[in-house]
Amino acid sequence: MWGEWMVYINGIKCIKCGACVGVCPTQALTLTEKGIVFDKTKCINCGACIQICPANAISKE
Amino acid sequence: MNYSSEYDIIVVGAGPGGSMAAKTAAENGSKVLLIERKKEIGAPVRCGEGIGLESLKGIDIEIPEKSYSFQIGGAKLVSPDIQNDIVVKTDQTKGYVLDRKVFDKDLAIQAGRAGAEIMVKSQVIELLKNENKIIGIKVETDDGIKEINSKIVIAMDGAESTIARMAGLNTTSDLYNSDTGYEYEMVNVSCDDLIEIYFSKEYAPRGYLWIFPKSKDVANVGVGVGGKEAPYAKEYLDKWINGPMKERFKNAQPVAIKGGLIPVGASREQLVADGFMVAGTAAHQVDPIHGGGIALAMKAGVLAGKIAAQAIKDNDYSKERLMEFQTKWNETEEKKLKKRLKLRKALEMLNDEDLNVVISSLDDEDIEKLLEGNFPPVVTKVLSKRPQLLKAIGGLIK
Ligand SMILES: Cc1cc2nc3c(=O)[nH]c(=O)nc-3n(C[C@H](O)[C@H](O)[C@H](O)COP(=O)(O)OP(=O)(O)OC[C@H]3O[C@@H](n4cnc5c(N)ncnc54)[C@H](O)[C@@H]3O)c2cc1C
Ligand code: SF4
Ligand code: SF4
Repeated sequence: MWGEWMVYINGIKCIKCGACVGVCPTQALTLTEKGIVFDKTKCINCGACIQICPANAISKE
Repeated sequence: MNYSSEYDIIVVGAGPGGSMAAKTAAENGSKVLLIERKKEIGAPVRCGEGIGLESLKGIDIEIPEKSYSFQIGGAKLVSPDIQNDIVVKTDQTKGYVLDRKVFDKDLAIQAGRAGAEIMVKSQVIELLKNENKIIGIKVETDDGIKEINSKIVIAMDGAESTIARMAGLNTTSDLYNSDTGYEYEMVNVSCDDLIEIYFSKEYAPRGYLWIFPKSKDVANVGVGVGGKEAPYAKEYLDKWINGPMKERFKNAQPVAIKGGLIPVGASREQLVADGFMVAGTAAHQVDPIHGGGIALAMKAGVLAGKIAAQAIKDNDYSKERLMEFQTKWNETEEKKLKKRLKLRKALEMLNDEDLNVVISSLDDEDIEKLLEGNFPPVVTKVLSKRPQLLKAIGGLIK
């Protein structure tokens, strides 16, 4: 069972910079040509990605 | 395009580091494959594009005129109250504001000329392993997913690095040692041939704001802030542009938005495994003070490429053999980075009033000393003006 909330990435605010990928401790995020791909099965709800996003594009859902 | 199913060396990421690694390894006789996720190497840019002449010394590469936008004669450091500044015109501060779209692609072209094979729009998604040995990669391309074998994989996949972690090396950026940058490229910003650095706890907590000119009236205008403050990076920059800098930016218009993660905790300790190396910004080989990582990635790429090619000739790709990279890096660049990490941690303790005093009491020669790692004379000078900083910066004398 994974965590109590889900990472939501606002595709319009996201500038595809990859910062969230670099701080995610479980490799739940990957940057692809199309944008960020989120793997909810890997996420441990640590919130690091939310804290690092310079465009404030990530929130809890 | 036709690719083999086996290479001596696979380099992941065609940033400045990866291209230099691929070029160097190919020049030294290895069969090399360079793999890049982006469909066009160099684009989009996520960088302030500044590079110092001093930092390029020792790298055997020519920077063609088309690869830079503007030649820089020095740096201007501005105090938080914008009342004082220090202009430094030395080799440490002279340099270029690059056109990284052209620069990065040109380095990849040079790697190709040296004999490296190149894949673009191809994302490495997995490492192939035989027990603990890395023996290749799995890559997603337009033609489907392929497995390609190698003797050595060099991961130079930048700040968003995931590859080294697949090899069991911890390269995750912790928030305390991470900065994020947010930047506009703007027109109608009048500029001299100086990069401008603005210190401010109010507008750039644990970081700074910058104006890096790309011509007389175009500049990269950005902010870098410490991990905790990252979600407000854009807000800080907007407030600064519309607040204290209103006059300067009154006609400014953005033509691009750039941003990203900058690991500022100095190099990771573990850089190699069996059949595997990680280098450049992926290994946090970035200047902890200003966050510059282009030249360091290139140096790391050359060193990794050379050692990997020699290991191929020696027919030994073990962790012990590749350890030479880690040892050499620590003996050379890392020493400077560790010193600058110490300086970064001291600077973090200063508030805006402290910084006003510091900048009004120092001159260009003092800054040069700081950049060279010669702290004691500068610390003594600052303490004579502001004795209460003893606790914050006294440690730099030791
Ligand atoms: C806002 C900002 C401003 C900056 N300003 C400056 C500056 O002014 N001066 C300076 O020197 N440095 C600056 N830096 C830092 C600099 O951009 C980096 O340190 C530098 O680009 C590192 O080079 P690299 O070759 O290690 O990695 P990168 O240039 O990041 O290259 C890595 C490459 O790997 C590719 N890649 C990643 N994962 C995969 C995968 N799985 N498969 C295939 N390819 C992959 C990426 O697409 C990328 O092209 C700045 C950084 C930021 C975020
Ligand atoms: S919350 Fe933590 S684990 Fe989940 S995606 Fe963000 S950084 Fe990764
Ligand atoms: S850190 Fe934010 S802006 Fe950058 S890629 Fe992740 S979601 Fe997008």
